[in-house]
Amino acid sequence: MFGMKKILPGFAPPLKFSYDAVLIGGGLHNLATAWFLAREQNMNSVAIIEKNYIGYGGAGRNTAIVRANQRTRENIPLYKEALDLWPVMTRELDFNLMFYNCGNVNLLHSEAAVKAARVNVATARLMGVESHLLDAAETQKRVPALNLSHQITHPVHGAMYHPPGGIVRHDAVVWGLARGAAENGVHIHQQTEALGIETENGKVTGVRTSAGTIATPRVLVSAGGYSAGLIYHMLGIKLPISVLTIQAMVTQPLKPLLNHVVSSGAYHVYANQTLKGEIATGAHMDPWPNYTTQTTAGYIKHQAEALIELLPCLAGVKFMRSWAGLADMTPDMAPIMDGNDPVEGLFMNCGWGYFGFKSCTAAGRHMARFVATDQCPDRLKPFTLRRFENHRLMGETAALVNYTPDN
Amino acid sequence: MKRRLSLPTRRVDLQRRIPFFYKKRTCYGVKGDTIATALYASGVRIFGRSLKYHRPRGLYSMDGECSNTMMTVDGVPNVRTETTLLREDMVIEEQNVLFSARNDLLGFMDRLDRFMPAGFYYESLHKPAILWPMAAKMVRKAAGLGHIDPGFRFSGICDEIYPAADVCVIGGGPAGMSAALAAAASGMRVILLEARPWLGGSFDYRLYAAGETMPLYEQAGELSSRVASNGGIRVFTRTAMVGGYNDNLVTAVTEGTPEDPFDYRYVEIRTKSVIVATGARERPLLFENNERPGVMQPDCALRLARTYGILPGRDAVFSVGHDFGLEAALDLSDLGVSVRAVADVRKDGHDPALLEEIHRRNIAFFPGWAAALAEGNKKVNSVRLSQIGTGRSRAFSCDLLAAAAGHTPACEPLALFCGRLAYNETTGYFLPGKYPPGVFAAGRVLGLEAPTSIRASGEWAGHEAAAFCGADCHAAAKDARKALDGLPGPHAGSNWIAHPGPGRKRFVCFDEDVTEKNVRQALARGFDVPELIKRFTAAGTGPGQGGISGHNLPLLVSALTKKNAAVPTTVRPPLRPVLLSAYAGNGREMTKKTPVHEAQAKQGAVFRRVGSWHRARYFSADLDVTEEVANVRSNVGILDASTLGCFRIFGPDALSALQRVYAGDMSAIRDGRIKYAAMCNHDGCVIDDGVVIRTGTNDYRFTTSTGRAGETGEWIRYHTRFEKWDFHLVNLTDGTGVINLAGPRARDVLEKITDADISNEAFSFGSWRAFRLAGGIPVTCMRLGFVGELSFELNIPASFMQAAWDMLLEAGRDMALRPFGVEAQNVLRLEKGHVILGQESEQRTNLLDLNLGFLWSRNKDIKPVGADALGQAESDPNRLTLTGIRMADTHAVPPDGSVIVNNAADRRVIGYIGTIRKSAAVGAVVGMALVEGPYTREGTRLAIYDGHSNMNVFQHATVVRMPFYDPEGERMRI
Repeated sequence: MFGMKKILPGFAPPLKFSYDAVLIGGGLHNLATAWFLAREQNMNSVAIIEKNYIGYGGAGRNTAIVRANQRTRENIPLYKEALDLWPVMTRELDFNLMFYNCGNVNLLHSEAAVKAARVNVATARLMGVESHLLDAAETQKRVPALNLSHQITHPVHGAMYHPPGGIVRHDAVVWGLARGAAENGVHIHQQTEALGIETENGKVTGVRTSAGTIATPRVLVSAGGYSAGLIYHMLGIKLPISVLTIQAMVTQPLKPLLNHVVSSGAYHVYANQTLKGEIATGAHMDPWPNYTTQTTAGYIKHQAEALIELLPCLAGVKFMRSWAGLADMTPDMAPIMDGNDPVEGLFMNCGWGYFGFKSCTAAGRHMARFVATDQCPDRLKPFTLRRFENHRLMGETAALVNYTPDN
Repeated sequence: MKRRLSLPTRRVDLQRRIPFFYKKRTCYGVKGDTIATALYASGVRIFGRSLKYHRPRGLYSMDGECSNTMMTVDGVPNVRTETTLLREDMVIEEQNVLFSARNDLLGFMDRLDRFMPAGFYYESLHKPAILWPMAAKMVRKAAGLGHIDPGFRFSGICDEIYPAADVCVIGGGPAGMSAALAAAASGMRVILLEARPWLGGSFDYRLYAAGETMPLYEQAGELSSRVASNGGIRVFTRTAMVGGYNDNLVTAVTEGTPEDPFDYRYVEIRTKSVIVATGARERPLLFENNERPGVMQPDCALRLARTYGILPGRDAVFSVGHDFGLEAALDLSDLGVSVRAVADVRKDGHDPALLEEIHRRNIAFFPGWAAALAEGNKKVNSVRLSQIGTGRSRAFSCDLLAAAAGHTPACEPLALFCGRLAYNETTGYFLPGKYPPGVFAAGRVLGLEAPTSIRASGEWAGHEAAAFCGADCHAAAKDARKALDGLPGPHAGSNWIAHPGPGRKRFVCFDEDVTEKNVRQALARGFDVPELIKRFTAAGTGPGQGGISGHNLPLLVSALTKKNAAVPTTVRPPLRPVLLSAYAGNGREMTKKTPVHEAQAKQGAVFRRVGSWHRARYFSADLDVTEEVANVRSNVGILDASTLGCFRIFGPDALSALQRVYAGDMSAIRDGRIKYAAMCNHDGCVIDDGVVIRTGTNDYRFTTSTGRAGETGEWIRYHTRFEKWDFHLVNLTDGTGVINLAGPRARDVLEKITDADISNEAFSFGSWRAFRLAGGIPVTCMRLGFVGELSFELNIPASFMQAAWDMLLEAGRDMALRPFGVEAQNVLRLEKGHVILGQESEQRTNLLDLNLGFLWSRNKDIKPVGADALGQAESDPNRLTLTGIRMADTHAVPPDGSVIVNNAADRRVIGYIGTIRKSAAVGAVVGMALVEGPYTREGTRLAIYDGHSNMNVFQHATVVRMPFYDPEGERMRI
């Protein structure tokens, strides 16, 4: 019943002198890209360069929520594709990614929030993504522990309910993709740091790493919070990305209490009960850019205050662990997926902010197409870096964002 | 069970019985008992069942490191009964059992371990695909310890305090107390945190003195009375450190007693330096059934007897690896426990004095032996000891097995401050490689065992910390170091935690039922470092976090991989589980109220939160606010607009600063006139709008929207940061109230309460005047037209707001003046086509998109923020643009946020409605929407979908010109 086949490949064979493509960053987006490169694009001479170990960054620090109820015409199909891919990937990778289709309840705390949600719901529905607006009473039916009192800081007016969403076991995705990629010939070099990207006449020629230099015509940088810094330091290209710390925590495991992912923009809280029974909950990002993954005293306290107002029974539950990761925020909360511009052979897939987990499968698949064929798939075209230069933001968020001191 | 009465170390008051309910039965403990000791004294041995295998679990340690003894108390799940003080009438229930902990109907799970290797769910349960959704539901039901009722309400009192200190000492044992006394001697403000209810640490319950005259518990008593009488030391007992953050911020939680005015208190300490003196725990010993009830750590057994007067068992076997284990065996033997055998993993290196005592008492002693198997169905009834290396073994019947591999440091606080830990070859401990400035460690956490060394290390750390804080005590620190160096150093320890060998139920992590075998399985699957093995097996991720497995997992990985490099997984706060209510503290509503909040509440206002404020949104149950709107259109109303941002900017370069942030030309402001202005960001997107007036030479006032008031100061400073401009910016928002008196009869009302000439000739639309109301109330009055009627916007010092409000209401009484809310204003301004940022604009909406291009001045000396982007956007015809729409149907009002599609067949989303209302004044349903450029031509027919109804049914609207009402603006100019 249980083979003793290795799940993690361990260290790859020694670095080859050259690869068809080198992917910097051993996170989910690159693992997915590598897997699709090998499986769908027949590009097997691929190396992943990871400074730490695979899944060290955002892949292992997110709260594993998946959904497709985005706001804009450009984003919705991408996230829908990603959502639809979980069961497919589970089958293809023969690894249980544990997609738990519990649906998402996004709480709305004002008339304005209901209005903003209606744009999402209506757009999503027209694009074939199931989404509903609930009033307060309907919301409480979905979330019995919810506090409907008007005496709280942000009384609940209703919710955006998105049945197709849910949670996925994030570690399983890392391991499943890594195993799948390695089986298909991808070399995963852990504990190997990318030091530089070499170019000649505006074309990528290789990557310098702590384990030696690799010749390659294609480099894909997708290193989560570190992408913008890497691209700037290696090639001098400035990306409009601010990196902010985002914190999360879990309670002790409980018998089933929350049946859906519950989130609230006004309270800066999202919470879901994992299959293990813990309530995993996250806050908003720290209000200033930095690169640390340290937690702060204020946030866990804030989180407790907010959760108790929304779900008062949680007053009797304990937090047992908190951690932090990095969110690479663009000014319009949509990622940058681009390639061959301004450097030929340089591809980037970054700026996902806190949407990197839910999108990784679809983004990886399209980036694989892009890298293998040099043709930007239509679905990725709106995510070009040049949109910032042209001041054409994507509008993934309705409200003004405040990630950088100059915004 | 009868308790020992005459122990000098006893901490419970046997005369004070405390009743509680356990399994619906009344039981009794005594004052000072924890829940666990009370239950143990009542004969309870099986406290609960384990997560996965439903194995019986009992008392193992005494500091609540694992879920073995977690129970549901008064509806709160996962209460650590080992550390929670027993209170009267507590209702205590078992967790994770079907029927009872003794007879758990799910106990058969224990035999299914072969089917549940490490991480089995990753590689099963997904084939066929249809299996998983069902399996997931079952997994969810099976997982989780403890249940919380959705209707549960916490009734306790939570407090919070934020003390500051020079030196914060974590741990009130002999080292911590010595450190606190030494630091206080240099005049430092010292805070001493102790998780247990009393100071004393490991000395508190021990008689042994290693050649000294005074028993350890007396030494502890002597130290704690010196601490108590020292005014420089603030002692927090029952207060466990839970977090350590940047710049030595320490958080802790106090568990109150019935005598305290709180149940939990969150303590956040800003301290200059930290001394970690948290001592050591016992390192769990791995053997078959190492968590069977009846197996406990020697320290736990000794404390049961010495502190609580409870004999832990009748016949005991000890399997230890440290002198303390021998000491505990001897002491328990003296207290009446029959010690059948003592095995010690060490072949030599024992304290000779202890060995001599063991021989003197004829206790069978087995050096180089350790426990290999605990037998007994639900409780231990015999133990098999075996010799390391040879496999020779002997069985002993017993009801208590006191087992530990040795000591391991309680180094988690150090890990929070110092980062990575490393394995120390001498002590076998995990300790930081280096300490950041201001962080010190003392006592047993460093591996010191000799009582004199423990105290001396505390004194040294106390002096060092004081010196770090600037005290002149370097000589004292030097002397203390010298004294410490003359005393016995850290003991020799090892990484030994188990006989090598097979075994199915050698538990590394009790919470998650992770066995040594599971760790081997993880290694075989390629997970080669503790961090990954933890994730794959879940070891150390349960309710007790790494309390049991934290050090044993890396030690085991080292042993299995024959590498000595494994270090513990990252230590993350909170160091022990903390109730959300304890973190939340006393709770507070931070929303601001305007000066006339209460007055409006009395008039029936329904409030909504806007930014950081409460604002009156409706003044009637009619959420369509028909009456409120009509009254402003035909008569007169007042609106409290105090939440608007209000600023004064003055100084020689005030104008330059305004020119930088506002798109328009602020040098063109004429005396007495009002300038409508907007701020953009670098993308040209509108972030704020308001009005600017010039009140004197280089002196301006401006308003912002409610939401932006907080950020505006920051915004202006940021965008002028490279300039050497001289200006001052004052945020007057909270000190300024605003009343908008609006409607055709507004002048009639205002005239009654001011002598100023407010005729249209003297005070025309678009201008402002400063004058006084009756009673001398100073106002800055602006004639604006946001709602489209004659209107006077009165800016009034907040302290006069109530008086002015009352005066206006009185003056307007015979004209039926009434207040109107934000929703009425919303309809009124919609009819005028005036935007509210965030309502008709979104993040990517620029000035041109809102048809406000006239607010942008291209020829200023100082280029405003966003000018480049605006220049680029001018040539883009496809942007989402503010568009007036009129519904074909005069009655049906689609909700705000309904989307607009190009046509019913194609259904491509081309925009959405910002605000739409039925307008009595216009006689139609009109709204403002953001629509893609090509669809904004007047007369274009648009299809609208509300996100709710059938997706094939669309309502229709036509693009019309704005404003909808009084297009020439005559009504506001009267």
